[in-house]
Amino acid sequence: MEKTSPRARHLLSRMVLSLLALVILLPVVMTAIYSFFSPAEIKAFMGTRGSYDASAFMQIKLAPSMFSLSQYYNILIEDMTILRYFVNSAMYAAAILLGQALLIPMMAYALSRFRFPGRDAIFFVVIMLMLLPFQVTMVPNVLTLRTLGLLDTAWAVILPMTVAPFYVFLLRQYMVSLPGDMLEAAQIDGAGTWRCFVHVVLPVCRPVLGAAVALSFADCWNLVEQPLTYLTTRTDLYPLSVVFNQLTEKSTGVEFAGAALYTLPALCIYLYFQADILEGVQLTELK
Amino acid sequence: MFTKKKSVLLFLLPGLCMLLVFYIVPFVGGIGYSLTDGSYRNEFVGLQNYRDLWQNPMFRLGLTNTMQLSFICAPLLWVLSFILAAGLMNVKPFGGFFRSTALMPYLMPSSAMLLVWLVLFDYGGPVNRALVALGMERVMWLESGALRVPIVLMFLWKNLGFCLIIFLSALQSIPEPLYEYAHLEGAGFLYQTFRITLPLITPSAFLVFVMAWINAFRIFKEVYFIAGAYPDASVYTLQHYMNNMYGKLNYQLVTTAAYTFGLIVFAIFAVLFFMQRRAARGLS
Repeated sequence: MEKTSPRARHLLSRMVLSLLALVILLPVVMTAIYSFFSPAEIKAFMGTRGSYDASAFMQIKLAPSMFSLSQYYNILIEDMTILRYFVNSAMYAAAILLGQALLIPMMAYALSRFRFPGRDAIFFVVIMLMLLPFQVTMVPNVLTLRTLGLLDTAWAVILPMTVAPFYVFLLRQYMVSLPGDMLEAAQIDGAGTWRCFVHVVLPVCRPVLGAAVALSFADCWNLVEQPLTYLTTRTDLYPLSVVFNQLTEKSTGVEFAGAALYTLPALCIYLYFQADILEGVQLTELK
Repeated sequence: MFTKKKSVLLFLLPGLCMLLVFYIVPFVGGIGYSLTDGSYRNEFVGLQNYRDLWQNPMFRLGLTNTMQLSFICAPLLWVLSFILAAGLMNVKPFGGFFRSTALMPYLMPSSAMLLVWLVLFDYGGPVNRALVALGMERVMWLESGALRVPIVLMFLWKNLGFCLIIFLSALQSIPEPLYEYAHLEGAGFLYQTFRITLPLITPSAFLVFVMAWINAFRIFKEVYFIAGAYPDASVYTLQHYMNNMYGKLNYQLVTTAAYTFGLIVFAIFAVLFFMQRRAARGLS
């Protein structure tokens, strides 16, 4: 380390990082480029997949032979299948995010800014639930859903997700670290617990709230296990994330436009909340 | 800090009720399921289900694969993100761009990204093309046990950025003079890493490790997309087993499997937590 000059080291790190950034961006960029191929070209291209001819390779295509929007025309106007499942996905995301917005910030506030018997026990349970993978938590969820008769309805996917323990944890950790003086000042001015929450705590928590919204949206947009387990007979209620690969198993020529369309909201959410995620997640520690 | 305020109930109850209804109460109640035989008389059979489950080859296969994948993925992710974070510390103006690029995959939907991975890892795809160019044999990435490699790569691709930013912020909080002092004392790079950097960022390093491990346990989506509900034996995960048993309405086996796995997960995290405690105490 002493031998190389800092400048050379700098250059090396830069080169490695640029290469890595390229690799990281590759799937997204390729999806975007391929969505402008004509369906016939995609069909022919994807048709060369899965051949075990050891003498031939798939072509490497970096640009369409003819720029075309017909994939988009096809999925948006001609055949609405993908769009229908896309609407399902959007419905799940909206419902889950709404539920989380109603429950989780308040719970985190109670667990961080109040002192009451049993608080630490509740927080301990939240951490335990956060550590458990879906394979384990699906069992209690199913038992309740079955008792309530909610299996095979959209509620089965929505309701258990509204108290996702990870976001309770994330918000609680952020709220604990807020300076106490701020709330004391508000209290002296005569603000009650509710006004402290709405007018002091929530605005200050903007970064972590943004981070939670973005990460939670990513979860919702990526639902696979939950619909597969809870909606066994109602495949029409599946979100696009589950059925997309079944729909495109046999190339229809429009799958890349579908993928691009499905990625677009996630990309927008990411770009909008980028700074919040960086700031909100950085301050979290497991204590 | 508010004390003796009745209004805490207003904030706490809605969330707590949902937690109780969907997680805590059925979690306790479900123990009963794992101890009965599931016939219409529902007799108490003690730990028989657990013994049966442990004999079940498919469960053991799923458990072994999930454990192996997580034991590969979590440490690999941890080490890689630490190295990258340390590297990024040197590159100031470019770091911001890279940081936001690296985070992006975490928010991308796997199902949409999969198409590109399928093309890349096809038998005639670019990855094999590169292998042949390097003078190696082609590999059937998607059909054989080699599927583990793309799965691990996809996992790294997705989770790297998230771990990276947690590490980065921890590294940035270490005061610069500490390194200058160590440098003057003649401490080498390795000494600095293991004696200064890692002890000082223990809480964040622990968080990254736990997060990486939680996500590694969840590996299922990509396998399911590529290989369906009954994939090659080397990538048959525990989630596959649970889904297939659940599909057969075998609640006894599903609950028993869930509690067994839950116990294992807790055991692992308890050990990790204990180690972190000791490391933290050793520092002070």
